[in-house]
Amino acid sequence: MNKPVIKIENLTVDYITEENPIKAVHDVTFEIFSGEIFGLVGESGSGKSTVVQAMMRILPPPALISNGKVIINDKDILTSSDSDIVGFRWKQISIVMQSALNALNPVLSVREQIQDVLKTHKNLIGIDADKRAKELLSLVEIDHDRLDSFPHQLSGGMKQRIVIAIALAIMPPIIIMDEPTTALDVIVEREIIAKVIDLRKKLGLTILFITHDLNLLLEFADRLAIMKNGKIVELDTVENIYAGGKHHYTKKLIGSIPSASGKRQKGLLSKPNSLNLSKSPILEVRNLKKVFQSPGFFNKNKLVAVNDISFKVHKGEIVGIVGESGSGKSTVAKLVTRLIRPSEGFIYLNGENKKVAESRDVPLQYRKDVQMVFQDPFGSLNSIHTVYHHLSRPLFRHRLKNKEEMLSYIIDLLEKVGLTPGEKFAEKFPHEMSGGERQRVAIARALSLEPKIVVADEPTSMLDVSIRMEVLEIFAKMRIKSNLTVLFITHDLASARYLADRIIVLKDGSIIEENDSEKLIQNPKENYTKQLIRAASPGWLSELTN
Amino acid sequence: MNSSVLYIARRFGFYLIAAFAALTLNFIIPRLMPGDPASIIFARFKGKLKPEAIDAMRESFGLTNDPIFFQYISYLKSILKGDLGTSIAYFPAPVSEIIGGGLVWTIFLAGTSMIIAFLIGTTLGIIIAWNRTGKLDTILPPTLAFFGAFPYFWLAMVFLYLFGFSLNWFPIGRAYGNEISPGYNLPFFISTLYHAFLPALTLVFVSLGGWMLSMRNTMISTLGSDYITFAHAKGISSRSIMLRYAARNAILPNLTGFGMALGFMLSGALLTEMIFSYPGQGFLLLQAVQTQDYPLMQGIFMTITLAVLGANWLVDIAILFFDPRTRK
Amino acid sequence: MISNKNVYQKSILARWISGIIGNQKAFIGSCIILFFGVSAIFIPPFIQSPTDFLSTPLLPPSFEYFFGTNGQGQDVFAQTICGARQTLFVGFSAGILVVIIGALIGGIAGYYGGRIDDILSLLINVFLVMPGLPLMVILASWLPPSPGTLLGVLVLTGWAWNARVIRSQMMTFKNRDFVSAAIVSGESNIRIIIIEIMPRMLSLLASSFIGASIYSIGAQVGLEFLGLGDVSTVTWGTNLYWASNNLALLTESWWTFVPTGFCIALISFALTLINFGIDEVSNPRLISEKLWRNKVPENLITHGITPVSNSNE
Repeated sequence: MNKPVIKIENLTVDYITEENPIKAVHDVTFEIFSGEIFGLVGESGSGKSTVVQAMMRILPPPALISNGKVIINDKDILTSSDSDIVGFRWKQISIVMQSALNALNPVLSVREQIQDVLKTHKNLIGIDADKRAKELLSLVEIDHDRLDSFPHQLSGGMKQRIVIAIALAIMPPIIIMDEPTTALDVIVEREIIAKVIDLRKKLGLTILFITHDLNLLLEFADRLAIMKNGKIVELDTVENIYAGGKHHYTKKLIGSIPSASGKRQKGLLSKPNSLNLSKSPILEVRNLKKVFQSPGFFNKNKLVAVNDISFKVHKGEIVGIVGESGSGKSTVAKLVTRLIRPSEGFIYLNGENKKVAESRDVPLQYRKDVQMVFQDPFGSLNSIHTVYHHLSRPLFRHRLKNKEEMLSYIIDLLEKVGLTPGEKFAEKFPHEMSGGERQRVAIARALSLEPKIVVADEPTSMLDVSIRMEVLEIFAKMRIKSNLTVLFITHDLASARYLADRIIVLKDGSIIEENDSEKLIQNPKENYTKQLIRAASPGWLSELTN
Repeated sequence: MNSSVLYIARRFGFYLIAAFAALTLNFIIPRLMPGDPASIIFARFKGKLKPEAIDAMRESFGLTNDPIFFQYISYLKSILKGDLGTSIAYFPAPVSEIIGGGLVWTIFLAGTSMIIAFLIGTTLGIIIAWNRTGKLDTILPPTLAFFGAFPYFWLAMVFLYLFGFSLNWFPIGRAYGNEISPGYNLPFFISTLYHAFLPALTLVFVSLGGWMLSMRNTMISTLGSDYITFAHAKGISSRSIMLRYAARNAILPNLTGFGMALGFMLSGALLTEMIFSYPGQGFLLLQAVQTQDYPLMQGIFMTITLAVLGANWLVDIAILFFDPRTRK
Repeated sequence: MISNKNVYQKSILARWISGIIGNQKAFIGSCIILFFGVSAIFIPPFIQSPTDFLSTPLLPPSFEYFFGTNGQGQDVFAQTICGARQTLFVGFSAGILVVIIGALIGGIAGYYGGRIDDILSLLINVFLVMPGLPLMVILASWLPPSPGTLLGVLVLTGWAWNARVIRSQMMTFKNRDFVSAAIVSGESNIRIIIIEIMPRMLSLLASSFIGASIYSIGAQVGLEFLGLGDVSTVTWGTNLYWASNNLALLTESWWTFVPTGFCIALISFALTLINFGIDEVSNPRLISEKLWRNKVPENLITHGITPVSNSNE
């Protein structure tokens, strides 16, 4: 660990736009030593992916490297000729790209995509290439018959592993891993990382690991750099950063990590003891089932998304539904908000019996009483309308406010969710706000009708880590202030523990386990729940690698 | 493998439905017109045609005193037997006989020129999308778009005028020389190509730009996708990225578009045939219009529809070959 | 309160519209269209009547008759100018109708999905694969020749393409969260389609209208050329019909068909230019890439290799 294999000095990258160029990376300097795992942490837009893509010079237009020096294995990348660079790639350094799910060519088989690299760099063809491709698949634990599969036939986890296999194909000394696991479920994510760490031990690789998830890197990195707005704000060993770091931004990041094990952190806005939940449920779901049918007259493909689930939510309660992708949790959200019709089962709101499977029209009252906050704040607001439009339309529609009262009510509402000054925000268009601000607007919209229950479908998973907790706190505050009922749907057990009084664990469309949050975390009954808890707790890596 | 067969069968099922819809349309249109078709026919042709020709025409449309449902059944029966009625202009020749000769020429002329235009246009599209700094990308799109703006038949007139009448380089009609006997021999073959050259050139010229532009656009958006950046990172040769990574993907929507545009382009080919007096369906259609030979018109509509549906089915099979996603 | 002006200036929609106005290609295209429109409306009263017999048939172009005379001794220049009237009117009207019908059928199919979509898609696809010209010929030959007939025939054979495109975009919007959010807040479907979705589809609707107009003008001229229009009116199509009927090619009187054809091409080309413009403005990636190409020296641009600007060395 004495010789730097990567040396970056004052790297600056511009993106050309209609207005002035945006400095996506500004004066970044760091070194990585042989055999090290170096972590680069930052939120979306911090420039971390730009740094590594600039290192390989694969940034597509409209990027331009405007300053700096990049030395990899004694080669000056920024002054090398084009043919030198093409020859250098993959032999010396390979990359697992962010969005690895789209990194595979849809019309070529796995075999062809692996062998492309073998042929180009090692001149390996025919039986030899086949043999090597199979070895690589074994390495990432994928069945050999998958060689003839096409990307659309593979699950997200498989694609991810295959991209890792391609990155390892000719065993370069350095591998860049740019968010290699974001699209994956926690359990799979942890398995893949354990695999990578294992390989690194065996092969002595140098790894540059990029992620938004500081928690993840604390598990296995040697040194860390924290990026914000294109600059490195802190660079230190994992131990020092875990201890809190020097920069206030680092402190904020460290502080915003919820955990699924150990004691609950302080300052949580969980249910105060004084709050008594009513006996009769405000929402009851009984034997709900949803089967999706593929479109077309001749298509017989069916998918059971939700299979016979029942649960109750009481007034003032926050219930978490936790599940991985494909567990049917989002379908539950859509069923409860009646965006889709159930195939079978009942939804009782406020004790009223509604066999909703039969009715196509949803009464306006139901639309007032049940509101929803969506995952993607960029998608849930219409880019052509102002915040004022988004908040006023539901109020006009339900005749709750007239024109004169509207503006002051909306300003008030915006300030309640932390958007001050409200007048300014009312005029804004979605593209003029940050992701966090947009999500606050979406929450304000859901609250504007004073609904009986709010369904929040992954309300923070698209937000930057540092603001996730603040957004969750809005729900907790509103519950205490106005006895709001929330159905909180998430993949993240730790944040469910943070916010919810009770947790329902969903898997493959069925309820696996249900209990009060703390009891569930401390004393899980089902194996699957245990796995989830372990994956979301510090120290999981050593468990997996041993 | 099994799902490929299913896909092909499903598409075939769709074309059957489409063919059936065309048949029904063919049956309904005369009956939907204002007034009763039998008396329209009588009024239009009285005195111009022999009474037996008028009777034959009524019979072609199945215009009997039976209820409409039975008329429909007997219409379908006769279509299935290949009976498209009797021509008026060529009375008493059956429509199927007249059409039979023309269909081959249309498929030959329109088919080859469409494929040539698609191949050249797509290739140009790949090249200009890849070399966006080159001069070609600034010159070709507007130039070809300009040529694409001309009506097919008008450009055909200009070409025929310039290269046929004025310069005398090319023949001004027919599909092969007067003095040549059709058959599998070289002079016939050469004469066929010679006669088809100018009409084919017109068709290629007008439709080239469209294919080039759409290939260029899909190619450019494909070049922005993640798997292209990843391929560059892998250090693969530019040539391979251009062809196997970008073009292979970008061509798929254009293939679908090709199938969809067949009917439209065929219309252009029909008009072009008329100008060049090329003895295909278009030329027959012109004669049918001029002589108000309704049975012939409707027969041409039917056969052309079937040809287009068949060609579409072939395109589906090609897509199956190119796009693994259709194979499941 | 929020002033309307303020809102208007910042919206993406407003930016898009001002982008189109400022786009060079769209501007040139619009100028050509405007030129034809204005001359078709205002010039005719000041020139020869296009149907008058003036002088010897088939006179070549001269100072007296800019484009010569046709086989009936009529002024080709006057016919070219006046012919634009009906042709453009029918063409653009058909364009509008096609977009409306396409948006209605495609929009309903895409928004509601399910069985409604299955049935409407089948209808759309059947009309798509049916060859247009023969169908138009049959329809037009049974119906009395009139602009109304032309319009009906053009719309009937042209709507499916637009419906298909609009349907697929509607399907992507239908599944977007902002639509679900509107549904959950109790908005009616009609309002969601018109207020929330349609403005987002503006660039598609605009380019659909332009595509449909190009098609309608071309197909209309083709039908009239076959003699399926009202041959006694003066339109671009009948001009060509008479040119061909009077054996323009045999008599080598090119001036009887060249001006009209050129005008048709110019109109279609202008419309295509506007479509290019819409495309450029609606695609932000293309805009920034274009700026990038202007900024980076040509010799530094290689596929897959990020350029390094010279200033640092």
